[in-house]
Amino acid sequence: MKLTRRTLLATTLLPRVAIAQADQRPSVTVAVQKIANTGVLEPLREQSSNVSERWVASILETPIARNQQGKLERVPGIASAWRRISPTTVELSLRPDVRFHNGDVLTAEDVAFSYGAHMFAANLPADIPQIAKRHFPALERVEIVDARTVRIVNKTPDLTLEGRLSAGGREIVSQRSWMERGDWAANAKSPCGTGPYRLNRFKPDSELVLDSHDMYWGGRPKLKSVRFVEVPEVASRIAGLRAGEFDFACDIPPDQIGEIERVPGLKVQGGLVTNHRIVVFDKNHPVLANPKIRLAMAHAVDCQAIVDSLWAGRARVPAGLQFDFYGDMLVKGWTVPAYDPALARALLREANYQGGEIIYRARNNYYTAETATAQILVEFWRAVGLNIRLEVKENWPQVLDKAGPRGVRDWSNSAVFDDPVSSLVNQHGPNGAQQTNGEWSNAEMNTLSVELESGTDPARRQEVFARMLQICEREDPAYIVLHQNAVFTGHKASLPWTQPPSFFMDFHGAWGA
Amino acid sequence: MLRYLALRLARAAFTIVLVVTFAFVVLRLSGDPALIIMSPEAPEEAIQAFRHAWGLDQPIWIQYLDYFGAIAQGNLGVSFRDGRPALQLVAERIPATLLLTIPALMLKICVGIPAGIHAALHRNSLTDRLVMAAAVAGFTVPSFVLGLLLVLLFAVQLGWLPSGGQESWRSMILPVITLGFGGAGVLARFTRSAMLEVLGQPYIRTALAKGVPWQRVVRGHALPNAAIPTVTIIGFMVGSLIAGAVVVESVFSWPGVGRLLVVSVSNRDLAVVQCILLLVASTMVISNLIVDLLYGVLDPRLRAGASGGH
Repeated sequence: MKLTRRTLLATTLLPRVAIAQADQRPSVTVAVQKIANTGVLEPLREQSSNVSERWVASILETPIARNQQGKLERVPGIASAWRRISPTTVELSLRPDVRFHNGDVLTAEDVAFSYGAHMFAANLPADIPQIAKRHFPALERVEIVDARTVRIVNKTPDLTLEGRLSAGGREIVSQRSWMERGDWAANAKSPCGTGPYRLNRFKPDSELVLDSHDMYWGGRPKLKSVRFVEVPEVASRIAGLRAGEFDFACDIPPDQIGEIERVPGLKVQGGLVTNHRIVVFDKNHPVLANPKIRLAMAHAVDCQAIVDSLWAGRARVPAGLQFDFYGDMLVKGWTVPAYDPALARALLREANYQGGEIIYRARNNYYTAETATAQILVEFWRAVGLNIRLEVKENWPQVLDKAGPRGVRDWSNSAVFDDPVSSLVNQHGPNGAQQTNGEWSNAEMNTLSVELESGTDPARRQEVFARMLQICEREDPAYIVLHQNAVFTGHKASLPWTQPPSFFMDFHGAWGA
Repeated sequence: MLRYLALRLARAAFTIVLVVTFAFVVLRLSGDPALIIMSPEAPEEAIQAFRHAWGLDQPIWIQYLDYFGAIAQGNLGVSFRDGRPALQLVAERIPATLLLTIPALMLKICVGIPAGIHAALHRNSLTDRLVMAAAVAGFTVPSFVLGLLLVLLFAVQLGWLPSGGQESWRSMILPVITLGFGGAGVLARFTRSAMLEVLGQPYIRTALAKGVPWQRVVRGHALPNAAIPTVTIIGFMVGSLIAGAVVVESVFSWPGVGRLLVVSVSNRDLAVVQCILLLVASTMVISNLIVDLLYGVLDPRLRAGASGGH
């Protein structure tokens, strides 16, 4: 081709000028309490649901997505379709038009790498393969059928594979980019994914700037850039929002909602997320060894009063440790133990409770309104005659410390995919933290956990799940579900954004015209 | 003088070792970094692997010896969270902190000392009362509260200044005022009391009786003698330049050493916390050493005392 000034202008300069002039998309600044708990942008290390979930899916995507504008049900993502080949195998059909942030087209090789060397290689930090193993406890291999078809093969039957492929920690990374950067540490600070926004810069504990990935398979993103800034103090986040410096202020406590909504031009959105606030028992405690005392503690608590007084009615008391998005697995008609102080006292009498002290360990507002919730719980328990001592601890190791008597402690449980395995089994089953911490165990529950994980008969699985709830919430209580958590975000009312029913701040699908 | 200096240096080194040892033991006994960084939901194998990789499964005395052995070779450790050398992480944040603390120190000195002198020279006057009221307010209002009040006024209501961050020189104004206001109050109080004490001394009356002009008495006799307590306070302020803005950096989201310290303590990022404490202790000790030496310059009697004279 003959190169003339005209063709040169037409092919290089003019389109750039045109794009620059046309790019009138807004940019937004989002004030968050914390950008990343572990100081990296790597979902396996980060693990946290309420901190990193805000931005991970903007950069990195799982093969199967979740409908952030619906009920978090599974929807096509970078895999346009998936099908069950057998109880152990799921086949993914990758979209042909998915490009990574470095311009490469997504192939089955990238999926195989992401679920192979990226997660399990020997040269990774020692904790990474262990965390990956929890995400894929029985993964046998990833089979490449062709460039756009890949099979995830499990060693054992697993009906939750599709759910697992839609959950955090299973994101797809660019193999070429990962290898070029050389090691885990470099990639952990500079991930290359397929999401609607690509990394511009990241300063740990300070800011994270994402730019539009204009070749995004789901259409050109509606924002030019998104900047997350870390503002640890809630008063400072609200002040910045009121001053117009931030477009969004996250992690707004319920008691501050009114203050923000009184300011013209600002509004607060928020709602329930797939996370339950619970307290868990250590049944090795001499008093709590008797399940009747644990059940009495559950009946002594008016969870609705906590929701009404501390959450202004914006959280809710759920149907036990289960979520609506479990679909057919939801045990209908199940409830948390009813508030019944008379029954609680009767159970304590039956258990011949002699006033032994029970230690209750909480953290200082690690969870929203945690300290106030703890104080209310103590009063509920004291009101039925229990001898409770509240200990506020600085961090998790102090809460879990085996030195000194452990009784009850605060916790929360997330469901990272739409099956009870993701919450009840993952947190309270044989490999769940409550059991590995040595707080609670139940032989039948452990047998049923294995059956729930590997069972293939939906009806039997639902039956198993119902029995597990009966054990954990009535017969041998492992925990008390207090309420389903909610998150609140203040923002400029003029912004066409809808908060998803999750921690994710979706600036693609949730951004209106 | 050399013996005096050597003794001071030995005490300084001992102080630094004590501070670092205390931090080393307390941080390890008050929370397992593996559990804090990885959360209680992490698989037990992952937690064990993390502990092993960072040597946290070793007895504490072995960790302690390893730590001091590494310090002797100039290695202050590697951050658990970031994976980079702790010293590099801290060094990156020092300029941001100094951008706040040095102007704040200047503000404290330039406002606090003249205000204290003025109040002392006009004792019981209206200005004295006003200066002292402002000084008391300065060091009694917590910097957290003052910072938020300034933000509400100048950022939210008036819209003149940013509420936080490190966007431009304008972002420095509110944190510097917040830091400087309290310190200026402290200096004003100390300067005033020192001046009043000196002004009541017989040698001041003698100088006045000899007919020395008032201004010369103040400049030549009162100020140098009143400087010792003020220099002591300034010494402490200089010593806290590196990590003296922890609360203010949090309120104004300023990415300095103070924020890094808070994040590192809460995550038990041991190498980073120890590195910051080592630097802070060293700065404080050096600053106090300089103050001690300055005492000798300001008051020859102390010099004579240090060399064994009477």
